[in-house]
Formats: sequence, C-alpha cells, structure tokens
Amino acid sequence: MLGRLLLPTILLILALGFWASTDFQEIAAGVAIFLFGMLMLEDGFKLFSGGFLERILEKATSSVTKSIGFGILTTTIMQSSSLVSVIAISFLSAGLITLVAGVGIIFGANIGTTTGAWLVAGFGLKVNISAYALPMLAISIVLVFQKSKYLRGAGFVLAGLGFLFLGIHYMKEGFEAFKDQFDLTRFAMTGVAGLVVYTLVGATATVVMQSSHATVVLIITALAAGQISYENALALAIGANIGTTVTAIIGAFTANFQGKRLALAHLIFNVVTAGVALIFIGPLRVSVDFVSAGVGIPDTDYALKLAVFHTIFNLLGVFLMVPVIRPLIRFLERTIVQPKEDLSQPKYLSQAVGEFPLTIQTAMRKEVKHLYINAVELIVHGLNLHRHDIFTTKDIAATVAASRSPVEFDIDERYEQRVKTLHSAIVEFTTRINTKDMAENVVEDIYTLRDVATGIVRAVKAIKHLRRNATHFTERDQGVVTDLYNGLRTEIARILVEIRKLELADPEDRSSLWLDQERIQVENDAQNTNGRIEALIRDQKLAVGAATSFLNDSNYAYSAMRELLDAARAYYIETEDAMAEVERILSLEDDELSDVGKAGPSRNASEGAS
Amino acid sequence: MGLEKIAEKLDSYYDRLERGKATKIKPSHVEKAIVKLNARQEALNRELLEARKPSKKERLQCKLATVRTQIERAEWLLDQIGA
Repeated sequence: MLGRLLLPTILLILALGFWASTDFQEIAAGVAIFLFGMLMLEDGFKLFSGGFLERILEKATSSVTKSIGFGILTTTIMQSSSLVSVIAISFLSAGLITLVAGVGIIFGANIGTTTGAWLVAGFGLKVNISAYALPMLAISIVLVFQKSKYLRGAGFVLAGLGFLFLGIHYMKEGFEAFKDQFDLTRFAMTGVAGLVVYTLVGATATVVMQSSHATVVLIITALAAGQISYENALALAIGANIGTTVTAIIGAFTANFQGKRLALAHLIFNVVTAGVALIFIGPLRVSVDFVSAGVGIPDTDYALKLAVFHTIFNLLGVFLMVPVIRPLIRFLERTIVQPKEDLSQPKYLSQAVGEFPLTIQTAMRKEVKHLYINAVELIVHGLNLHRHDIFTTKDIAATVAASRSPVEFDIDERYEQRVKTLHSAIVEFTTRINTKDMAENVVEDIYTLRDVATGIVRAVKAIKHLRRNATHFTERDQGVVTDLYNGLRTEIARILVEIRKLELADPEDRSSLWLDQERIQVENDAQNTNGRIEALIRDQKLAVGAATSFLNDSNYAYSAMRELLDAARAYYIETEDAMAEVERILSLEDDELSDVGKAGPSRNASEGAS
Repeated sequence: MGLEKIAEKLDSYYDRLERGKATKIKPSHVEKAIVKLNARQEALNRELLEARKPSKKERLQCKLATVRTQIERAEWLLDQIGA
C-alpha cells in the first residue's frame, strides 16, 4: 500500500514544487542530475569490474584493518558508501568475503563517505564547478562511444563526475535564489526537538534521494545559503547517515542470509553512531570547533566545519564499534539465523551476485559444485551405496559387494528436488546474466560450467535408469549377473572416488589429466563388456533376457561414467589460461583412448576394481 | 605414441594464438604439467608397491602406462613450444 502511494506522492510534491517555484525546479533538477551522475559512476565502475576492483576486494579483506582501509579507499574513489555497501553485500552473498570483512568494509565506507563532504565543502562551493563539469561531460561522451570497455568505463566515470558537479552547481544556484524568497531559518527549531526533527528530515531526504552525498550537498548548500542553522545542519548530517543504510537494506532483499546480516550491521553501526552523536552533540561541537581552529578553518565557514563534524562523528562510530566487532558478529549470527540448508534451492546464485563478473563466475562454480554434491548423493544411494563407505574403503569392490541392502528413497522425487531444480536455476542464471561487458574467458568459463552441470544431470538420469535392475540383481547373490552389476557399481564408485581425490588434492599439484587414466579404463571396460557377455551366454552362464538387460544397463552406467569424467575434467581444468591450454593440448581425444589403452591391460565389468 | 591429434590441437592453438584468442604457452607451463605428471607417476608407483589384489595391480599398471604416454606427449609438446 505504502509502496503504491510513494511514487504518486513524490510526483505530486514535485509538481506542486514546480508550480510554486522555478527555483525549486532548479534544486530538484540539480538533485536529479547528481543522482544521474551517481548511476553513471556505478555503471562506469561495473565496466572495470572483472578486473582490478574484484581482485583487490578478495585480497584486501583478509583482516579487519585491511577491510576498513579498503572500505575507506573504495568509497573515496567511488564517492558512494551505498554502492560499496551493496557490492560488499553481493560479494558476501557470493561467499567471496567473510562477514567480518564485510562489516569492516561497511565501517570503512562510513569514513570514506566523509570525503564527499570535504569535496563539496572545500571544492564544490568555492569554485565554479560547472566550469569543470562541462568539459568533463564533453570528453566523457567521446570515451563512452569507444569500443574498449575500459575506455567506455572511464567515459561513464568521467560523465558521472561531470553530472555530480553539474548537479551540485544547479542545487547551489537553486538555493541561492531560494534564499531571497523563502527563509528556512524561520522554521529552524532549537534544542532536542530541533535535533530529532532534523535528524528525521536528514534520514528521510537520504532515503528519498538514495544518497547521503546528495543530502550532505543539500545541507552544505543550504547552510552556505543561510537556510538552516549550524545545529540543524549537524542533525541533518546525522540523519543522512541513518538514511544511507536504506540502499544496503534494499540490496539485501535479494541477498542470502549473510547479505542480510551485513545490511543489519550497517544499520546498527549507523544508528548507534547517530545515537551517540546526538547524545554527545555538545562535546562533539566543541571538538569540531577545536579541530577547525587547529587546521585554520574560519569560525564562520560552516560548510567546512560540517565536513569536520561528518568526519569526526564517523570516526567516532568506527572507534566505538571496532572493539565490539566480534560480539556484533555473534549478535548478527543469532539474530539472522542461517536457514536450515534446503538442498533443493540454489545456494549461491542470487540476484545480488548478478552484477559483477567474478561474483558470477565464483557463484556459478560453487553452485555447480553444490549440484555435484547433490548428484553424488543421488548416484551413490541410487546404487544402494553410501558415500562414507566408498570414500573411506581401501577395497571398493569388496565394499560394493557387501552393500546389498537397498537405500529406500524415491529417486525420481529426489532428482526433481535436488538436481533438476538446481540445474534449471543454473541454466536460467546463465541466460539471464549480461555477458556483453564480460571478458571472453570469463564468459567461456561460465558456459563451460553450465555444460558441466548438464553433464552431471545426464549422469544422474543414467543412474535413474540403472537403479531398478542394479537393486534387483544385487540385493541377494544371483551368481554371475550379480557380479556383473556389482562390477558396474564398483566402476561408478571408483570414478566418484577418483574425482574426489582430484577435488581434495592441492590445486597446485593436481591435474585434470589424471582423469584421462580413468577414461581409458572406462573405454576398455566398455569395449570388453560385449565380448564377455557373449561368452557368458555361449557358456550358458547367463540367460539371454538377463544379458540384454545388463547390456542396456551397462550402456547407462558407462554413459554416466563418461559424463562424470567429462564434467570433472572441465571443472578441474587449470584456472590459469596458459596452463589450461597445455592441459587441453595434452588431454586425450575420445578416439585416442583405445589406442593409448592398448598399451596396458584391461579389465571387464565383473572383475571390478579395488 | 600417435601424435597426429596432439599436433592438430597444437596447430589449432597456434591459429587461435595468432588471432589473439589464446594465451601464450611458455616452456615453464609445460614443465609444470610434466612435474605434476611425474608426481602422479610416483604416487601410482607407491600405490602399486602397496597393492595386494591382482586386479588392483593390473589397474595401477594400466594407469602407469597412461601416465608414461602423457609424459611423452608433454615432452614432445615442450620440444615444440621451446623450439
């Protein structure tokens, strides 16, 4: 209801404002241009992502201090704590950073955001910024039309800055003219009521404009134009800090529980800081005057003093919160409890990760692994085996032969719940993401991962076909046919064990080429199966009906093995491009497998493996 | 050791490299792959020494034969890349 009324209300207020005052138009246009600049900045930085921005994020958040430093730096560069907060939520949601690192970034972003106040107070109001804005916009448009995405990114960033400056210029002009017609100071309140009201006004203005920077600009321009008192300006700045959390809260709607925890951390930090600032507004004001006098800021330069206040009170917040960061994390973990894992739902692919290439790539990789884990459970149980048994035994064949009791579960239902749903989510995600501005190798990797997921699903489907007979012929010893099916079960288990070995090996030591050895084994066994079955029929050791069933089932089994091996080869191929090229060249082609395989002995299905 | 396929793949790689669609392979990259394969060979040899079941020994010997072929192919690739 409130959401539906919000837009008409804002439009009505704007229309009334436009009707009442042309100066209001100028202020509103200034805010709009400023916000448009913010959007362009964001778009520009996104074009740089996939490269330096994300790599730095990963490395720079290994400790709280580094995370805070990173938050300060990125917010200073981007001039948007909200953008940095949303990116942090997205990275946390994708599992790229820890919650502590995310909280550190948020703390740092609150310090970094104060540079905006300095920029506006020390620079924006003292020079004719439109003189800078217009050439910036003209140059930016040339860059925006370039083919290179980095040049386009630079163009958007420049245009964003240009629009920010232009927006500031219009807001300033609007307030200057406004001053003659309408004196805001007449409405200024003093005392606690004034503090509370203007804090709420500051928070609301920031929520509406989605930018604490824009609010700070408004405060400084209004303050410089004498529209509001210094005390009211301080309260507005405090309110702006509370209001700025709304962007992160909106960003967390689509994030997982970790993202929501970070948004709550952001809200707690800003509300606590604001509360402390309001309680100690007197001493804070004294300290602002002290610092201002110390650095030579004139007593009447309220704009710069506001920047000092903004900085002091955000620093105060960080100094207050850093010592309690661990209790804060525990509180967040208690308040937003990790949901009981629903294996049927995607864990990593959320809209929150849909913006940045590395996030997408990492989330895809993790989601495919998630799918594989579910698939392994289904495959192993489908063959009436248990993961712990086959992953710990030294004799797989003996373990498989001993595992006769059927694992009671509905494989079709489990497939729908835990495999098909995830696969659909992965395919849907790859079609939804915008690959236009991604590096070619990243796009290729994402599509390879999608194909890996499809291969895994095909392997599970093959096991579904195999399950009925595998259960029927291995529940009790029926002679040679039981041996044959146990052979297939053993082969599949062995492939899963080999893939697990690869998974557990140090990435520096492992090679996807290991799996070529298994591929050769699979092809040798597949080739020998027909001959062996014919011999068994001839010797009347196997009924024709059982033999044809087995041949059908062995096709499913070998198909599952090939799919699993191909999926693992693609998944575990070297991540460094040149090394991946080497592995691709050295890897055996399908039609080479039998030639290379002839070099060594072969087994058939019934002999199994240990 | 049939090298037709690997030679074809190498040609295809050079073609992509010329078009700027592939990353340049240095001898050190191939050497790293050889180190990994040698380590794998050693691990399989150790496993073979410990193996008791004939079927397991047979499987490990088959794997060892494949690793040797892979090492030969990698050494051939190193010659080509280094040349």
